This record gives sequence, C-alpha cells and structure tokens, in this order.
Amino acid sequence: MNATVFALTLRQFARQRRSLLLFGLALVPVAIAIIYRLGEHAHQHEETASFLADIVVTAILPLACLILGTSALGSEIEDGTAVYILAKPVPRRDTIVAKFAASALISAAFVVPATAISGLIGLQGVSGEGIVIGFAIATLVGVFAYTAIFILLSVATSRALLFGLAYVFIWEGLITDLFSGTRYLSVRQYCLGIADLIATVSEEDFEANLGGVEGLVLATVVLAVALVLAVRRLEAFELTGTD
Amino acid sequence: MTAAAQERPSGAPSPAATVEAVNVSRWYGNVVAVNDVSFSIGPGITGLLGPNGAGKSTILHMAAGFLRPSKGTVRIGSSPAWRNHEMFRNVGLVLEKEAVYSFLTGYEFVLLSANLCGLSDPEEAARRAVRAIDMEAAQDRRVGGYSKGMKQRLKVAAAIVHDPQILLLDEPFNGTDPGQRLQMMDTLRRMADEGRTILFSSHILDEVEQLAQNVLVIVAGRLVASGDFRAIRRLMTDRPYTFTVSSSDNRQLAVALVADESVFGVELGDEHLTVRTSQFADFTRVAPRIAQARGITLQELLPTDESLESVFSYLVKR
Repeated sequence: MNATVFALTLRQFARQRRSLLLFGLALVPVAIAIIYRLGEHAHQHEETASFLADIVVTAILPLACLILGTSALGSEIEDGTAVYILAKPVPRRDTIVAKFAASALISAAFVVPATAISGLIGLQGVSGEGIVIGFAIATLVGVFAYTAIFILLSVATSRALLFGLAYVFIWEGLITDLFSGTRYLSVRQYCLGIADLIATVSEEDFEANLGGVEGLVLATVVLAVALVLAVRRLEAFELTGTD
Repeated sequence: MTAAAQERPSGAPSPAATVEAVNVSRWYGNVVAVNDVSFSIGPGITGLLGPNGAGKSTILHMAAGFLRPSKGTVRIGSSPAWRNHEMFRNVGLVLEKEAVYSFLTGYEFVLLSANLCGLSDPEEAARRAVRAIDMEAAQDRRVGGYSKGMKQRLKVAAAIVHDPQILLLDEPFNGTDPGQRLQMMDTLRRMADEGRTILFSSHILDEVEQLAQNVLVIVAGRLVASGDFRAIRRLMTDRPYTFTVSSSDNRQLAVALVADESVFGVELGDEHLTVRTSQFADFTRVAPRIAQARGITLQELLPTDESLESVFSYLVKR
C-alpha cells in the first residue's frame, strides 16, 4: 500500500460533502433504534436482528460503501486529478490497495459503530445473545467486500454510482431475496451468514440462508477478485479526449 | 513535407532516442485521431505543433502511456510506454487539464509528487522545484485559489520535482501571462541545456518558435513536417501570403497593386481589398509606395493568414 495515496484519500474524504452524507446515513439506524425503543416489545431479539438485517445490512452498509468506494478513485478519474497519482512510479496495485484501505477504514468507522450502537439500543434490557457482535463483525466483512466491488466499478465505468445503486437495490435488495440460488452471489447474504454464525439466538429469532463459514470464504473471494480486477483495469487506464 | 530527417518509418528503435513513435496510429471507432506517425526525438526541446484537434494530445497521451496505440509502438527509452508506470521514474508529465487538488497548498501539491516518486529527501526536492518555477511566495496558499497560469506552473513544478530526463508537456503555457510564460520558457530551456528531452505541444506558432529547436507538425492526425523549425520556416516563405488592405480609394489601389509582379491576385470587397502575394517583406514595402505614388491614403495593411492552421493547411495541401 502507498502511504501517500492513503493519506491523500483520507484528506479528500474529510473535505467532501459525501462524508457528511455518510455521517447522516450512520445516524439513521441509531435514530430508528431509539424510536423502536419508545414502544413495548415482546420479541426484542427477533425484532432487533430483523432490523439490523433489513435496515443496516441491506441498505445502510452498501450505501455507505457505495458513497465512498465509488468516489475514492472515481472522482479523481472524473475530474482528471488521478493523473497526478498515475503518472508516478507507483504500482497500480499499491494505488488500488491504498484507495481501498482508506475507503474501507472510513466506511467501517461509520457503519460498524452505528450497527453496534443501534443493536445495543434495540436489545437494551435483555441478553445480547451475540447479536450485536455478530452483526458488527458481519458489517465489517461487508464493508471490505462492498468497498472492493465499488472501487472496481469506479475504475471500470464513469457511471459507477448509477450502476452501484442498481446493484444495491435491484440485485442485493430484490433479486437475491426472490431466488434462493443467488445467495452465493450476494454480499448481503454473506453478511447475514456471518452474523448468524456468531449470534446464539434461536432459529425462530434469526436464521440466515447461508452458512457463516461459506459467507466468510465467499466474501474473501469477492474482495480478492474485485481488487485484482480493479488493479488490472487501472493498469489499462486510458485518458479520454481525441485532440 | 519533412524538413529534416528525423522520421523513421519503421525498424528498430534508434539507440540515442528517448521518445520514439514507430508507425503509430490511434483511432476511436471510425475516427482516426493519429494516422501512421513515426518520429524519434532526443535531448533538447521539441515542439509538437498543430491546430486544435490535430492529434497532439493523443500523441502525448500515448507517449505518457495513457493511451494504447491502435497500431504501432511508442517507446520511452527502449521500453514501450503503454502499461509502463516505471517509466515515470524518468519522465515528468504535464497535461492540459486544469484540475488540481484544490485543498492542498502549492508546496503540499509538489511535495505529494515528490513523495509519490519515492525521493529520499522529498521536502528539499519540493522546495527546489517550487523555487525553479518562482512560486515560493504563493507556495503556502491553497491551490484552489490559484490563477490558471499559477496552476500551470505548479503542475510543471510537480512534474520536474524528481528531476526527470524526459518531460512531456501538453499545452503548458495555456493560461499563463507573458511574464509567467517567459519564466517558464527559461526554466525549460535550462533543463534542455542540461541534456533533458522535452516534448511539448502547442497550437501557438509563436510559442514553438521561441522555445523549440525542432518541431513535429501534426495536421489531421498525420505528421506533415518534422525537424529544425527554421528549415521549415524557410520552406514556408514561398507560399502566398494574404493581406487585408484598406485605403481612401480601394478600387484604384487594386488596379495599381495587381500590376505589381509580387502580387498574385486582388479581391475587391465592400470595405477592403484582399491581396495575395508571394513576397511578404517586399509587399509591405511596395504597397505604401504604390499608394503614395497615386495619392491614395493607405489606412490598413494587415497579414491575415498568419494563423498556424492556415499556414500548415497550406503545407498539407501541397
């Protein structure tokens, strides 16, 4: 990893409005959990697990990674500043890894605490049963996989945000729910499998469609493949313009 | 038209060459941006000259490894430029795009380059580069507040921070004021005198004339002339020049001028004459005399086809 690119990316994020958006996004599950706690609940484990699965893992996690992952290198490619990094003797692999590390770090810094805090609020007054730690680790793994996918998208297309939104809402949010066979191709299902592996709640309260070990292995494969493809794509990066 | 023998249509790379294109073409779909261009340049300043849209940037992008040639090879030293990030240890690049990291200060921007190049003392290298382009006074201001000319100079500083042997510059003087331009030209001349190879693109004839010993002239994607600039200029002196002439009696002046042997033709317009002549200097001396001899007051005598595009379009048509 190139430390200069990593530090530059962190500075870029600190100045972007996207970071504010990310902060707002992280507050959403916490706010929902607080509202949830205002009422009386007989099935806190089931409801909290369901909330973390449906709100955090399905929406907040991929959207946070989408916001940062597509901008980490994509915005520089778009405005032309990427050349200041690419026209240097820095291996493309180091550039991609630095961009990935910075994006994943920031995404995780927002999403994982938001997951843990909202989970703790939802489970206040009852035993945790590993739900909070399970979903916290699952979202951390999800941050890695999603960030790698969105960095790949940003170097593969100038419409990364559009394709990313379609992927999150159509593929992850819709299709993988409709067809059970697609669970092997869904980061969301990997995350739920990992959460289920760690949580000790009953199957009635929470059950994933995919085993936790399978989820972890597949998430690792997705991470590695996406980063390798992103490096290859960046190695063949071409400037646009025909003058 | 090739003024001096620098073209190498094919074959092995010249050992002395530092930037070489061998039968290079680049097309976008059906659009041919660069068509079978070959050249070889070494130490010194070479101007890549041509009208807007001629293919200059495409050639520079291929030389910088940011475009894959559709055909042929561009080499930096002995290695292909495409997919060769290692060449940037020895190459500095300035592109035309104005975008910079606006949140960095000028010094931080150059330091970023020094760090990315893995220099042993990046701070000192950055200070030296900022000094070389005379930006010390503004180095602690954020780049976002810089003028276009200042950004251009800063981009040059970032490109030379690692003391490269080859500099590729795409329209480096865009947006610079006359003072900044002269200062940057001095810097580039000094670097060339130290044995570096500098290839810069421009569509401004005057810039190239002031700076480059050699030129590569690109028109419509083709290399139409290359070599010593003065030699090309000499070849251009026999082309007809066009003047716009206004006087107190255009009709009578037209009759008088057309009789002069240096004049090819005269067109009588509503408010002025358009005169074509083969002798630029002679005509500027003769025309006032002819007007004076007939009691005509000459109000305007302007060369009108001195744009680069018209000059080199003429070369291509020949």
